[in-house]
Amino acid sequence: MATNGPLCELRKVVVEFPQPHGPARRVLEDVDLEVRAGEVLALIGPSGCGKSTLLRVLAGLLAPTRGEVRFRGAPLRGVNPAVGFMFQGAALFPWMTVARNVTEVLRAAGTSPAEIPARTERVLRLVGLAEVADAYPRELSGGMKQRVGTARALSLEPELLFMDEPFSQVDALTAEALRAEILDIWAAADRHPSAVVLVSHDIPEVVYMADRIVVFDANPGRVRAVIDDPLPRPRDYRSPGLTQLVDRLHDVITGMEMPDVPAAGAPVEALPDASAGEVVGLVEYLDARGGREDVFRIAAETDSRFDRTINAVNAAELLDLVDTPRRAVVLAPLGQRFVRAPDMERRAIWRERLLGLGLFRQVQEAIARSPAGRVERDFVLELIAIAAPREDFEAVFERFVSWARYGRLFVYDDAAQELAAP
Amino acid sequence: MRERVNRVFGAASALLDRSRRPSVVDAALLLAVAAAAIGLVRLGHRSGGGLRAAVEIDLSVAALPRYALYSLLRGVAAYALSLAFSIGYGYWAAKDRRAERVLVPLLDVLQSIPVLGFMPGLVLALVAAFPRSSVGLELAAILMIFTGQAWNMTFSFYRSVGSVPKELSEVATWGRFSAWQRFRAVELPAAAIGLVWNSMMSMAGGWFFLMVSEAFVLGDRDFRLPGIGAYMSVAVQRGDGGAMVASVVAMALLVVLLDQLVWRPLVAWSERFRLDEGGGALPARSWVYDLLRRSRLGAALRGRRRPPRPPRPAPRAVAAALSVASPAAFLLLLGVLGAGGLRLVHLLRAESVSAWVGVGRETAITLGRVLASVALATLWAVPAGVAIGRSPRLARVLQPAVQVVASFPAPMLFPAVVLGLRAAGVGLGAGSVLLMTLATQWYVLFNVIAGASAVPADLEEASRAYRLGRWQRFRALYLPAVFPYLVTGWVTAAGGAWNASIVSEYVAIGKDTLVAPGIGAAISRAAAEARLADLAAAVTVMAVTVVVFNRLVWRPLGRIAEERFSVQR
Repeated sequence: MATNGPLCELRKVVVEFPQPHGPARRVLEDVDLEVRAGEVLALIGPSGCGKSTLLRVLAGLLAPTRGEVRFRGAPLRGVNPAVGFMFQGAALFPWMTVARNVTEVLRAAGTSPAEIPARTERVLRLVGLAEVADAYPRELSGGMKQRVGTARALSLEPELLFMDEPFSQVDALTAEALRAEILDIWAAADRHPSAVVLVSHDIPEVVYMADRIVVFDANPGRVRAVIDDPLPRPRDYRSPGLTQLVDRLHDVITGMEMPDVPAAGAPVEALPDASAGEVVGLVEYLDARGGREDVFRIAAETDSRFDRTINAVNAAELLDLVDTPRRAVVLAPLGQRFVRAPDMERRAIWRERLLGLGLFRQVQEAIARSPAGRVERDFVLELIAIAAPREDFEAVFERFVSWARYGRLFVYDDAAQELAAP
Repeated sequence: MRERVNRVFGAASALLDRSRRPSVVDAALLLAVAAAAIGLVRLGHRSGGGLRAAVEIDLSVAALPRYALYSLLRGVAAYALSLAFSIGYGYWAAKDRRAERVLVPLLDVLQSIPVLGFMPGLVLALVAAFPRSSVGLELAAILMIFTGQAWNMTFSFYRSVGSVPKELSEVATWGRFSAWQRFRAVELPAAAIGLVWNSMMSMAGGWFFLMVSEAFVLGDRDFRLPGIGAYMSVAVQRGDGGAMVASVVAMALLVVLLDQLVWRPLVAWSERFRLDEGGGALPARSWVYDLLRRSRLGAALRGRRRPPRPPRPAPRAVAAALSVASPAAFLLLLGVLGAGGLRLVHLLRAESVSAWVGVGRETAITLGRVLASVALATLWAVPAGVAIGRSPRLARVLQPAVQVVASFPAPMLFPAVVLGLRAAGVGLGAGSVLLMTLATQWYVLFNVIAGASAVPADLEEASRAYRLGRWQRFRALYLPAVFPYLVTGWVTAAGGAWNASIVSEYVAIGKDTLVAPGIGAAISRAAAEARLADLAAAVTVMAVTVVVFNRLVWRPLGRIAEERFSVQR
């Protein structure tokens, strides 16, 4: 048994999900990745980049469309028995007591019945829940539920602990406590689990937790960068090393998600996932703060996820309302005009900018050409499918309608599934 | 096996040891078990007692408790069968993508076949199989009750298994649960609430045709089994008013007792299987359940579940066997369906064109009656349901009451209503619409109550803040908000009305037989006269009409209601 090779490996993994019409949506593209013994590996990226899917492929919960999954050098078949899995929503069976949620898994693993009670108690004590063993999940707070999830994941003494955004549904202080607990368990002498894989969208969290950080890009999900995090443990959020690393991650992500040189004008553009309301809100926010702000600061101050903020910035940039020199977002001259204008004029500017985009222009021309003055939803879906073959076109279509509605460019009749001029 | 016997025995003796003073509840429980056992033995004994195609029914009131017990046992036997069927069929349909494509539409068709469509086949086959005893007849009655119970439970179980939350089923995959453990720990609990509620409705569905299931005429043969249904039938035949009233009272008592002693406790118990936490619904309460929980027997039963069982090695062999069994069963099913279809075609070929035209016309008439009865129910049930649903206090008291009333088999009231109508000079043509309404209005009512009590508080407050008038509030808020529920009520009520047409378009009282032309009357008469080809034609056309109407009208309407008027968004 090799000790210095990677524990888990992905080679050229592709995952596609079929869509009702059109080509399959590619969630992961050519992913190569390894998990090494003894490390905490974090996967970070915008939502929809396939990081949760990747975790499921690594665990053997989901078979890749193409490519190979290896565990200790051998191809993985079915679920990896060496993995403890923590789910985003804790995923406890509501009809079982806390203890039963754990014993059920122990039993499935063939643990001898004599051993089960002692092991259950030990693992519940490890997460500080021994006294609520007979409570039902609905009686527990979110943090306690996630602790039960931890206990269940650790009950099989796994070599690998996989965590799918485990702290995203608990409040910030509880999340802090849970992070420290997980690291304590991981750092304990007997090293079970020996490696942790964490999926997250929280940059400070991954810098605090990880030894290596894998940055993903969305549509389709790809590995864009792997960053080492050699900071000594225990770590301090305020240490210069940690802030520098957070800063570096910010740069990597903005370089990837907000390129300074926009892609060459495609006939039809993919629309960033932001509503008209978010774009207008961003422009107002910038105007109220002197017209310039760091994108991550905007995310932090508006209490939103960085990927949502970046999407709004990209949408605003597509409409020439802002510029993005590196990580800063600057109100462009048109944005300044927009923010000062009364409502009718704002919508006129918006409409004019939309018509600068191939997708909206093509739909307008099609409406003008059609004798009835309307086009079907499927026509637009096809245009989108050509522009962004691997995206979720229905979602893009909804954005399209929302943008057009704000600019009073088209109206959409949901019952007839048709677009027309207002 | 011996180990389990020992454990149960041990628990029982430990219980006797501990409880020096057994509580009243424990005593009642033991008594109930004993009574059921005695009843079963007597029913079994009687079934073996030689061929008696038409049992004499004793119309004295003293005989009623015994008949009620027999009917109950039949209902319970049919229910056990329904439960097993639902779980087996639903599980299969949810797990096997290929079989699902046949099983689900097939269930839709089965659901739309009225009980009389199954009757001749069951009776002729089973009576022939047990020529020397009434076992065949008993089985036929139980199976007829089964056909009134099984389908909606099956749908419910199938849907629940298919919609287990993704993360929970991933836990089972990650924990490498065996198929059995996944079923026991994940799928069955997730389906429990739906199964309990549908069981309640199914039991009512089984009672609906009790009179037909226990006493029926097939050609020149008159079949009767001792039970409340047969008692009522005979009372109606003889025009014995006192006996009719007595059997209605006995049936009502039976329904109320079952509700209080079985269904309410089960509903309260099943609350623990709720997947969404909290939720706006009132927690179900049951005094019997509370008593049981406090009783020693209850504690012993709960305690018994504690000891962990030895682990089984992952039954790969079982999984492999299942993966072979499913296609095999599917082929068998296709074979049976094919053979059945061929026989049906063969039977139907005998029908003349004019017979088909007649059946078509009768179906159209009955369709009109069904819609009229649904409209009639809507007319009063919507305002009443909104009024009840808006007041939490009224809803808490009346909603369970309405469910009990809905469980009472309306056909038992038909003779009285028909006599009343005749006295008032109303013919059965219009009268049968009223009978159908009587049978199905409750479905509309309790769905509207559920909808009205789910109207979000903020919308209610908004309509008061802007001082919407009574009528405006009804039109702008309550009607749209209850609409999705109303559609559900309509679908159920219409389904029930089609079924009810069989007993409301053709009513025999004393020596008279009242007939209102329609497909229900055609089915009843064809069955009574044992004209099997005509019966098959009528049942086929009715089933096809019901299925087509569901697809073309109710389902799109339900979709629109969900999209446009759903308040849960």
